[in-house]
Amino acid sequence: MGKVTRVGPGVYRVEHDGGRQEIVYVAGPRGSTWAFWNGEIFHETATSAPSEHSGQARPMGPRTLSSPMPATIIKVMATPGSPIKRGDTLLVVEAMKMELPIAAEYDGTVKAVHCREGDLVQAGQTLIELE
Amino acid sequence: MIKRLLIANRGEVALRVIRACRELGVETVAVYSEADVRAPHVSAADRAVAIGAAPAVDSYLSTARILEAVDTSGADAVHPGYGFLSENASFAAACEQAGIVFVGPPSSVIAQMGSKIAARRVMQTAGVPSVPGDVPHDQSDDGVRRAVERVGPPVLIKASGGGGGRGISRVDQIDGAIAAIQGARREATASFGDGTLYVEKLLVKPHHVEVQIFADNHDHVVHLWERECSAQRRHQKVIEESPSPIMTPRLRARMTDAAVQAARACGYRNAGTVEFLVDTSMGRGAERFYFLEMNTRLQVEHPITEQVTGLDIVRAQILVASNEPLPWLAPSISQRGHAIEARVYAEDPAQGFLPQAGRLLLYREPRIPGIRIDSGVEEGSDVPVHYDALLAKVIATASTRDEAITRLVCALRAFPILGVRTNVSFLLRLLEHPRFRAGDVDTTFLDTEGHTLAASPPEQPPAFVREALAAYVVDADQLTAATASGAIQPKAVAGFDPWERLGTWGK
Repeated sequence: MGKVTRVGPGVYRVEHDGGRQEIVYVAGPRGSTWAFWNGEIFHETATSAPSEHSGQARPMGPRTLSSPMPATIIKVMATPGSPIKRGDTLLVVEAMKMELPIAAEYDGTVKAVHCREGDLVQAGQTLIELE
Repeated sequence: MIKRLLIANRGEVALRVIRACRELGVETVAVYSEADVRAPHVSAADRAVAIGAAPAVDSYLSTARILEAVDTSGADAVHPGYGFLSENASFAAACEQAGIVFVGPPSSVIAQMGSKIAARRVMQTAGVPSVPGDVPHDQSDDGVRRAVERVGPPVLIKASGGGGGRGISRVDQIDGAIAAIQGARREATASFGDGTLYVEKLLVKPHHVEVQIFADNHDHVVHLWERECSAQRRHQKVIEESPSPIMTPRLRARMTDAAVQAARACGYRNAGTVEFLVDTSMGRGAERFYFLEMNTRLQVEHPITEQVTGLDIVRAQILVASNEPLPWLAPSISQRGHAIEARVYAEDPAQGFLPQAGRLLLYREPRIPGIRIDSGVEEGSDVPVHYDALLAKVIATASTRDEAITRLVCALRAFPILGVRTNVSFLLRLLEHPRFRAGDVDTTFLDTEGHTLAASPPEQPPAFVREALAAYVVDADQLTAATASGAIQPKAVAGFDPWERLGTWGK
């Protein structure tokens, strides 16, 4: 174990056994802590065990697609009952001046579509149900 | 001379303009939306006027609200910054009609260069080469498809009202043309209110090189050398540098001449940028360049030009808008050393560069000689969902390209930003890529190989990072306990650090 010294607000110096030291910046409330070291950002959340970033198909994952942020629906490609493949674009939303395609993460069928073109949606709002 | 300048913008560019005004003794007026009440640009100005709700259409994009703010603040001039109303010809015209100085070119020039089709015609007449293409008279989906056939895929379908990389669709095969045309038209209509499209031949691996020009009301037109901006993701610039690593003295002379000609041909005034695509496929010494578009405003990347020329572009904008002659003329404008800029965005490269919003829990700009940081946020700032997610521009200046890149890498590694995900690790991987180091990054590089640079962070932080996190959580728990027992009084201000009062807890 290294020696950890708090050297300022959110700043920790960690000394390795060999004497080399690292500076780590830390912030955030318990359950959602952030760290920065040498250009890399780490975010630990209470539920972050399997990361959304793992890039693997999640066959048993939540069967809904939601908006990642407040956005406007630009185009809806998905229609209820139609079969979809992983990577198919189901929706295009616009946020912060950018068009963002929202794609299927696995093969399946569209069960229901809960938005229309032109809708303003909130972060986390369910847009499409899959099965 | 302008007396009181209203800055119709927010973020880092508003702060940049305020800085120039302060040095010139010009009073400043900030404007702000409901989302920006506590934003740094508001406090930095001499006066500030609330202009409306958070969505940009109700505030920073509203000509009516901005002109009302001009009226109530008694400003005699408006600086539009970049983005928002900066290239909106009717806004510039409204300022002209109201007798307000618009810091930029005349509205007629903005309108002409804003129509990418009209701009192509002006350049062709002036003898400045444009990218081979076709402007279809028949603007139906099928008419544009026939233009695609005439030019021959691969082509880009572009919006006449577009620019800044928006409203562009690529077509590789004629089969996909109709979908691409519809996509381009949808974005063009939504973003620019004009669905007119044209077709340009797709150049193979071109470089994006642009020339900064400047013209005053006294018949002076100068250039301030070039900027290389080929590191682009979906036509959005990520890293810019000056000089361009592909430049030869002969190519530089030809391109800067063409840029000055272009500025003269359209009767340009104030600071502007002529963007070119450079085809290097014929080898060194046989490069061909083509006019791409003209940006009739201050560019995001103007600091690298300021760094290599030693000149203050924004200060000169205000002087020239006040009808003063340019403060510097051609023979004295030199290009010295190398400058490189990285744009730090609140976005998550691991999730398709999804823009991020949230509070900057920790934000510490590094202080390093040779590093300039133009930013619009500070620790505790909220990054709103409503606007461009640019946090800061980090600009490194050194005597050589290699030194400048290394200096930028060191600065980014020492620039902690917490609370939102940022593109910093992506920028670092790009700057350290062998092809970037070799000056061999063309405009297709990030779109074809960017995903390898956008890799997600390792699932588990290194052990020493976990140790720091653990120590932090213990400290935070002690703090919570001390607060609960009344040992200290929490302050109702986000970002306040009670540690400074807790001498006994020091380690």
